[in-house]
This record gives sequence, structure tokens and C-alpha cells, in this order.
Amino acid sequence: MSNPENTGLLVPLDEEIPAPSRSNELMREILGGGVVRTLLALVVGFVVGAILIIATNEDVLASAGYFFSRPSDLLTAAWNAVSTGYGALFRGSIYDTTATTFAEGIRPLTETLRLASPLIAAGLGIALSFRVGLFNIGGGGQLLVGAAFAGFVSFQWHLPWGIHLIVAIIFGILGAALWGAIVGFLKARTGANEVIVTIMLNYIAVSLVSFLMRTPILQAPDASGNPKTPAPDATAQLPLLLGDGFALHLGFVLVVAATVLYWWLMERSTIGYRFRAVGLNANAAKTAGINVGRIYILAMAASAAFVGLAGVNQALGRNTGFTPTIDSGIGFDAITVALLGGSTAGGVFLAGLLFGAMKAGSPAMQVESISPEVLGVVQGVIVLFIAAPPLIRAIFRLPKPATNSLIKQWWRARFTRGQVKK
Amino acid sequence: MNVITRKRGLAGLALLGAAGLLLAGCSAAPTASSTAKSVDFKGCAVSDEGSWQDKSFNEAAYEGLMKAKTDLGITTADAESNSTEDFDPNLAQMVSAKCDLTFAVGFNLIDPVNAAAAANPDFNFVTIDGSVTDAAKTPNLKAINYSMAQSSYLAGYLAAAYSTSKVIGTYGGLDIPAVTEFMEGFYYGAKAYEKETGTAVKVLGAPVGGGGTFTDPGKSFGDTEGAKTISAGQIADGADVIFPVAGGLFSATAEAIKESGKPVVFIGVDKNIAVTSPEYKDLVLTSVEKRMTQAVYDVIDDTIKNGFSSKAYLGTLENDGTDLSDFGAFDSKVSDEIKDKLKTLKAGIIDGSIDPLK
Repeated sequence: MSNPENTGLLVPLDEEIPAPSRSNELMREILGGGVVRTLLALVVGFVVGAILIIATNEDVLASAGYFFSRPSDLLTAAWNAVSTGYGALFRGSIYDTTATTFAEGIRPLTETLRLASPLIAAGLGIALSFRVGLFNIGGGGQLLVGAAFAGFVSFQWHLPWGIHLIVAIIFGILGAALWGAIVGFLKARTGANEVIVTIMLNYIAVSLVSFLMRTPILQAPDASGNPKTPAPDATAQLPLLLGDGFALHLGFVLVVAATVLYWWLMERSTIGYRFRAVGLNANAAKTAGINVGRIYILAMAASAAFVGLAGVNQALGRNTGFTPTIDSGIGFDAITVALLGGSTAGGVFLAGLLFGAMKAGSPAMQVESISPEVLGVVQGVIVLFIAAPPLIRAIFRLPKPATNSLIKQWWRARFTRGQVKK
Repeated sequence: MNVITRKRGLAGLALLGAAGLLLAGCSAAPTASSTAKSVDFKGCAVSDEGSWQDKSFNEAAYEGLMKAKTDLGITTADAESNSTEDFDPNLAQMVSAKCDLTFAVGFNLIDPVNAAAAANPDFNFVTIDGSVTDAAKTPNLKAINYSMAQSSYLAGYLAAAYSTSKVIGTYGGLDIPAVTEFMEGFYYGAKAYEKETGTAVKVLGAPVGGGGTFTDPGKSFGDTEGAKTISAGQIADGADVIFPVAGGLFSATAEAIKESGKPVVFIGVDKNIAVTSPEYKDLVLTSVEKRMTQAVYDVIDDTIKNGFSSKAYLGTLENDGTDLSDFGAFDSKVSDEIKDKLKTLKAGIIDGSIDPLK
């Protein structure tokens, strides 16, 4: 995708359709992984997590010393460790079985939805870039810029009820989109590799926003020298959905709407068709008369806009100020969410819920003395198994497996019309 | 290597592994052990940004909790916060876990712990380095604080006396009162030496009559690169004693010192760094100890025996909540005269005749 000729505006004279570049192929393979492989990856991830839990459990280690004289101890301890660990994950993310009232019991599920919201929004953004054949690694920076714009409107302007919130949301999304468009512009005009540009813009965003948070533009009056914003005005806070006892706010509803919008955009709209065409084969798209450079700019802006919604969710879904760590890894986790979700609307939504549940359950697992890193490994293994087979094939130039997954066949049937049969 | 030898090699390895497993698993099973004494009390802690094993601030508090677990037989639960976004969920989890007493370790947790205490009146909380925003609303919240200026004052005097260049430096991990108090005390201690001897002492980086030097606020106590650059800069400006008030970042200062090749030393904070990180003992002049381990333990002990009290705890030189460590490898290089003087200063601070922030 670093090939600058991809982005030219001229249509080649010869009518033969060029073969897609290797990066186009690679991206398509990662996306067309198949539901079965995704589920297997989840299973493997949790099995690896269980092994880690067992291997680091004190009772297990103690009973391993006398395994042969009483093996049942080790097995019991191992079972206990895993069931406590994943039991805590369940209690922390879905239903607290120790709670006395239903409201208390269901609270973890609402936390899962709250923590999943920004992951889903940012995941949709990254997924969009994947579908266009771009690797957007700049989620962190785009989220931060979105949060800064939304935050600025939320505490510097004082508008009436309703309007204030809407304006803050729009500003946050537009701010992030602008930040993302820079990447698309640089790629379209200069052929700059978007991976490198997005990574570098992450640093710029963190430094820029930290700097602004130390000037009156974004800084709270009582923050002394520290980068911290004031709390958003009550008129600009995302209202709570279930009352005071629950932190779940309107952000979740916005994210559900964004998921539907993403589906419509990618599967039904004309621009989405162009996005996909460029993603499947940028060379062919160019031949077909699509302005690839313009699509790159639009796609990066749209991608960052979704990530910006995650930033809005973070900045306005609270009644306190925020610091430059507001991203808390969401921009990066979103890449995983997009991969796991196969870059489809429904897939990203479900993957986001899963990762939100892991975030919500992490403190409960820590309380049971299980390192939070275990969940990080689980997430890493899942991605490895989803992304690695095609990656490894591409790197070592191995032949593709003979059988095509159903999803791949479906893709091919829909999108290879007019392509030269190889 | 052909296939057969490789297979044999693997088989050999497997055999060796199995033998090891056999040997490792051969000891006798323990008979039902007597249960240790235990009390029905759950002590919990939520860390500031960073891990419990930070060799400094978080670790000091965590060790108090662990000490209570072994000595008093309480049950414990803990959660590390990787970012400021983790504070609220972690505190909420301690309530779900039915903790009798939850320690919120660090200045950054003030707002979250005040909110958690107000929302959960049936549970008790302790804020370390924190404050109680509205005591009437949160009778279940206790603050633990330290007069770190007192011991830092002694450190500043010692640094000025020990320095041959009469240039000393300090920097902070974040511009918050819990950090600047160290730096200010250090500054005034050095200036006390200047006043007494008439030898001019230059203190770099102190937040007095200027902004002070701090690491990148975005990374704060994790800004290893920044800490190293600041330390190298202060060494280049002639400083031969550095006082990094930045949690675990002292290791970055130690690295800068080693790279400079100059006879520069540093002063640790929170724990006795020469003991907890013995690899740096040849560079640690002394440490300004913030004895949180003892305070956490004492609060738990007191709560079990006498019930919860929201009375604030202030660690001072007087109650041994804070003090200078011994001089370790530098004991012979600090003259008896200076040691006596430090004792006099300490007595002066305790009886109030010396203000460590003046």
C-alpha cells in the first residue's frame, strides 16, 4: 500500500485490469477469516489464559511439589484457580451472583456496556479503514483529539440544554475527522505510508493536547501545573440511562446508532461501495474510474470520525475533568476489536462487547489475585490466531489453503465481477 | 542433523523433562495443616497509576497490607490501576468484594475515593496522600498524610553539606502538593546550610521562585526518558547530589549518573532505596522515607481492635512516620559534625523552632 502509483489520478490507457497489490490481498485474507476460526481463536485464547492462571496460582504450585503422592490436590487446585478466575470475570462483567438485589446484580452488565461503547465506536472506525485497505494505527491520537474538541465545547461554551450536548458531540466527531483527514491527504498526495503517519500523529496528538491542557484553553483553574480539564457543564454531559445507581449513559445508544450507520455506509451506500472497491483492489478501482486519492482522504476522515465518537463518549460521559490518559488504550484495543469483528458492523459490535466485558471484569479478577495481564494475553492470543495465518502465508509466500471459507466465497461471488480469472 | 537423530534428541529431552517432573513431584503430601490465626476482616487497596511492584510509593503501601495479612491474619484484595480511567471501577469492585477497609493509594485518587465513600456509607475507606473533601458527608473516610517537608529539609541540608560543587538538583514526577512538598523542604534545607556557612548553594529544579522541574505530565511517574534527560542536564550543570521525587524514576537518575562517569550521588524517596534496590547502593546517599508500610499496618490493626476512626493520620519526624534512612555505603563520608547537626535540626523541627518550609 506504500506504492505511490496506487494513488495517482490518471487512468491507465490499456484496458486490462491490473492485479490487486499484495497488501490488498493480505487485507482481504485477514478480513475473510471465517466465523469458525474466530470462535476457535476465542477458545484458544481462554485456554491459554487458563493455563496462565493455573501456572501462576500459589495453591497449584504448592501442590505440584507432591503431585505423585496425591495428584488430586493439583487438579483440584487448578480447577479452583480457573473457576475462581473466570467466575470473577463473569461476576465482574455480566451478573454479580453475590449481590442481594437484582439492581446490584445487573450492574456489572451495565458496566460492560459502558466500557464497550468507546471500544465499539473506535473499532468501527478502524474497521472502516481496514475495508478500504488502510491500516489506521492512529486511534489513540484521533480519540484524544475528538475528546479535546468535545471537551472544549463542553466547558468553554455555555449553551442551552440539548443544543450544548449536540454541538459538543458534533465538534468532537468533526475534530477527530479532521485529524484523520490529514493522514488521508498525505497518503493521497505524497504516497506517505498511513501506518507511519498515523503512529507519528499519535505522539503529536498526545503532546499537543497535553500542552493545551496546561493553557487556559483546556486547563481546569484548580489543576496547578498539571494537564487536567474542567468538568463538562451539566448541559453537555451524556445523560445517564438507568438513573444514579448506574454509570451507563447515552453514549451506548449513540454507539448502537453508529453501528447501524456503519452497516448502511459500508453495505448499502454508494460511497461505501467505492470504499470496498478500493480496499479489494485499488488498481482495479482506479481503472474503473474511482478517484482513489479522494477515497483515501474520505475514508480516513470517516474512520477517524467513528474513533472521534469514542472520544466524545469518553469526554462527555463523566462529571469530572479528564487528563491526557483518557484514551486508556482504547485507540489501540480498537485494532483488535476490528480484527476480531472481521470489520463488519455486527462483528465489531460483538467483539467490542467481549472486550468491554474483559475490561469490566478485570478488577474482579484482580480481587481474586489474578494478574490483569492474563486478560491482555487472552486478547493477544485471539488476535494472533485471527491475523497470523494469512500474515504468515504472506510473509513466507506459502500457497493458500485449497478450500475457501463460506465467507470468502461469498465475498468473491459479490466482488470479483469483471475481474480477470486467474 | 538427520531426522532420526533429531527425533532421538527430542525423545531424550522429553525423557529428561519427565524425569524432572517425577523428581519435582515426589515429595510427600502434607498432612492437613493447622490453620493460621485469622480474623474476620478484609483489607483492600487500589493502586495509583502503575504496579504494586514499583519499588517505591505503591509498593510501600502494598507491603503494609501484606504484612497485615501475614501478621494479623486478615484476608486481602487489591487492584492495580493502569490509568486514571481505572480508579472508579477498581474502587467499585472493592465495594462488591465487601472490603471492610479500602486504601486508595495516592493523590490522584482523591476525587474517586471521596465519591466512593459518599456513595457507599457502609464501607470504610482510607485515602493516602489524600484529603477528605466533605467530612460531614463522608465519616467513613480517613486521610493519611505526611509532613515530607520535614525529612526533606534534613536531606537538603545534608545534600548541601555533602556536595563539593555546591550545586544540587531535584525534580518531580508530577506537579502535585504530595511531590512539591519534598522539593520545597529540600530547597529550604539547602538554603539553611547556605545561611549558616555563608557558602552559596545552588538548588536546581526546585519549585521555589520558579516553576520547578518535572517530568512530562502525560507520562508523569513513567517518564523514564524525561527523568534521565533532566538528571543528565542537572549533572551537566554541575550538580553532584540529585533528589528525584518521582517514585520509581530514581533508576533513570542512576543510569544518567553512571553514564556521566562523575562522582554524583542521589537521594531516594519513599523507601530506603539502598536496601530495596541494592544495585544502586553505591549511588544512594540516603533516602527520605515515607513509612507508609507501617502506617497502613497500624491503621488496619487499630481498626480491628478499636473500630474505624476517621481521624486523620499525619506522619512526621516526631512519630517516626517519616525520617532519613541511614547513610549506608556513605556512612564514612558523612562527618560526625554533619550527623550531629542533622540531629539538632531534627529536634528543632520536632519542637517547632524550625519551619521546614522557610
